[in-house]
Amino acid sequence: MKYKILKALDIAGLAVLDPIVRLIYREEPSEQVRKIILFIGIPAFTFLCFMVLWAYIAPRHTTKSGEVPTPAVVWDSAKSVWVFHERENIKEDDFRVSGEERQKRIAMVSAELEKLKPQLAKVDALLTKAQEQAKAETDKAVAPIMAVFEETKAKYSADSTARKKALTDLAGTIKADDKSARSEYLKKVEAHLAQTDVEKGNLQQIKAQMDAVMNRKHQGLIEARLAKNRVAEKVQFYSKRLENLGDNNQQQKVLAAKESLDKEKEKFSQASGRALYFSALKIQRAEDRLGRIETSTYAKPWTFPAQIVRSLGCVFLGFVIATVIAVPIGILCGLSPVFMAAMTPLISLFKPVSPIVWLPIVFIIVGGFIDDPEQAPVHPAFLSSAITVALCSLWPTLVNTAFGVAAIDKDHLNVARVLRLGFWSRLFKIVIPSALPLIFAGLRISLGVGWMVLIAAELLSSSEGIGKFVWDMFNNGSSQTFAQMFVVVFVVGIIGLMLDRTMIVFQRLVSFDDAPTAI
Amino acid sequence: MSNNLQDKYVEIVNLVKAYPNPFGEDIRVVDGFDLRIKQGEMIGILGHSGCGKSTVLTMVAGLNAISGGNVIVAGKEIDGAGPDRSVVFQSPCLFPWMTALGNVMLGVKRVYPHASKKERKELAEYYLNQVGLADAMHKYPREMSGGMQQRVGIARAIALKPKMLLLDEPFGRLDSLTRMELQDVIIDILNENKVTTLLVTHDVDEAIYMCDRIVTMTNGPHARVGRINEMPFERPRIRQEVLDHPEYYNIRGSLIQYLEDLEHEKEKQGQEKPPVEEETFNDQDDLPKTPKDKTEKSELVFML
Ligand SMILES: Nc1ncnc2c1ncn2[C@@H]1O[C@H](COP(=O)(O)OP(=O)(O)OP(=O)(O)O)[C@@H](O)[C@H]1O
Ligand SMILES: [Mg+2]
Repeated sequence: MKYKILKALDIAGLAVLDPIVRLIYREEPSEQVRKIILFIGIPAFTFLCFMVLWAYIAPRHTTKSGEVPTPAVVWDSAKSVWVFHERENIKEDDFRVSGEERQKRIAMVSAELEKLKPQLAKVDALLTKAQEQAKAETDKAVAPIMAVFEETKAKYSADSTARKKALTDLAGTIKADDKSARSEYLKKVEAHLAQTDVEKGNLQQIKAQMDAVMNRKHQGLIEARLAKNRVAEKVQFYSKRLENLGDNNQQQKVLAAKESLDKEKEKFSQASGRALYFSALKIQRAEDRLGRIETSTYAKPWTFPAQIVRSLGCVFLGFVIATVIAVPIGILCGLSPVFMAAMTPLISLFKPVSPIVWLPIVFIIVGGFIDDPEQAPVHPAFLSSAITVALCSLWPTLVNTAFGVAAIDKDHLNVARVLRLGFWSRLFKIVIPSALPLIFAGLRISLGVGWMVLIAAELLSSSEGIGKFVWDMFNNGSSQTFAQMFVVVFVVGIIGLMLDRTMIVFQRLVSFDDAPTAI
Repeated sequence: MSNNLQDKYVEIVNLVKAYPNPFGEDIRVVDGFDLRIKQGEMIGILGHSGCGKSTVLTMVAGLNAISGGNVIVAGKEIDGAGPDRSVVFQSPCLFPWMTALGNVMLGVKRVYPHASKKERKELAEYYLNQVGLADAMHKYPREMSGGMQQRVGIARAIALKPKMLLLDEPFGRLDSLTRMELQDVIIDILNENKVTTLLVTHDVDEAIYMCDRIVTMTNGPHARVGRINEMPFERPRIRQEVLDHPEYYNIRGSLIQYLEDLEHEKEKQGQEKPPVEEETFNDQDDLPKTPKDKTEKSELVFML
């Protein structure tokens, strides 16, 4: 039993848990504890240090989009991303539901809304109070500064007028040939202007003080706003549900459309002459409408989890394309020096090209094949992202495959010669199996590259997915969306890690010599 | 089959192998190797390291291009490698992604293309049984010892039902106990159905015990057949009987003496190789070995 578990862990690439299992079975406890500390304790500690450092540094840097979010803020925003997803799912479900279930839900949602009403009133009142209080506080703090400001301003303006008057008076007294008096005058005017600048500066300082007081954060007000937002969001959610369960509900709409169709048919059966013609037209239109309603879907916005799934689909498609291209070409390169020589310039030329360059080109080419993006079976943006992923990620597989095939053991080839195996059986029985570990090593690198490229490609092509999410969040520019970008970092990292782990497992399964793979 | 063909079942006529040296000149490593082998006969090839034994063997196998001369097997000139001449090398070179059975099956399938899968499996099992691997048929090469792997290699070679069996130091990497076991495995198989065999070896005793005739090659370059010794022992061979045979030590002494003479001759000719008899002949075992050439890996890949 114990060895079965250990073996399973090993194959699943979870050798980290090995010492824990052994500890449970009381095998050399001290050794296992040492291993747990080394392989689990120390990494966990490092991660913890990182979190603490982050939590310390983040709030000390303020940006246009607010403070850099702390781990706690990021966690909260991850939760809100999830809540948004769940609510959208519920709304969509409401849109489709019919019959008794619909009635039940209407009752439930209405009750929920009733319950929320007093809450909303309460938070509203609290908010108003907080606003008033904040205003009072601000006014109180601003008033003395304001007084000083007004006073100073009046004084300065009087001073300035006096100075101007003195200068114009003086101008009248200067004689035509009195050069020294003229240069003296020039200096005086200069001094007057300098004085005016100083006064302006002083006034601005006072104004800045005032602004600071007005912009002061009122903790009470912030909290009241948050509380109000929470409740208001819920109210909005339930109201929307009620809509989707009521008039907006698909089944309801279908029923209404059917009813009007029936009425038209009734009229049709009795109409005659010109009216018959119009009635027939109406029936046609009503039938069209019914068909449209029946096939309509709820216009659900993209949620982050849905975008993640789509990104995974996109990277998978790209990866499959890359594999289908890279493995056969790699095998040909490995088998034939001539083919390798022919391919080398192309490979060396295209390998370093960045996805940012590929994408627009691919986008235009794909667009040439697809006239109406909304009608196409795959969205062109999705397809171009996948192809870009393929173009950037096929190289490691290609090179590794070529290497694996070219490095095949000469003895093995000799055996094939003695057996006089044909081309195909040599290929499938000897060449490919012996190159398989290296091919999979290449595939693993390719998948990693593809996942990195994908986010950039989606961002650029606006294909719905993680990249698009980041771009939308960036353009939104609020502190909430700023935190959601941090959520993306972790999501992308964790998924990348899992993809890599999966590939390691596959790599282990095909490696016949049981060589340990790098982690 | 005519008596004539039986006596000259394998004819190696004036075989030449030339490799270009670094200056582009062709050096004839093997030059005029001549030998006729009777059907079912077992020939041992002795010679100093690097004289060209493996070169001759791989040429006969068809794995190495022939620069001059002919190799005729059963009245037909050879054309490339083929399952009628199966080879066992020093390293077992099994396919690591197949089990022992799979490795043998690959050959069986080749030779009996019309047999059903079940029949083929039975055949493969039969040969594995013969080399004493009845219990390890489903093991992968990595789960087997070197000796077991070499047994699979032998089974694979025999399963091809070859006209000729070519063995290039098949026991070279094994310890002496395993080596003796495997010698007996081969002797037993050959006792049952005789296959014309070429055995390249460093081990004088092995050659004496296993072979009908022993060919000693002169030192290279321009290596050729130096001397042929007929073994007077009866078949089937029994190790103790061979060892107790009155002629045994004479033959052994004469072979070793001849090898030593070749070495001295070389020294006289002022060749670059240092004398090696000391370590060579104080034991019953081996002539000095050069490490086997590593397989050349393609440089192509580094173009990328
Ligand atoms: N591909 C090659 N190119 C050039 N020279 C070669 C090549 N292969 C072998 N030789 C030379 O041919 C000679 C004979 O080599 P061979 O491997 O046949 O010797 P051998 O008798 O089998 O030696 P050993 O007993 O050590 O196995 C050697 O001197 C070697 O240097
Ligand atoms: Mg050799």
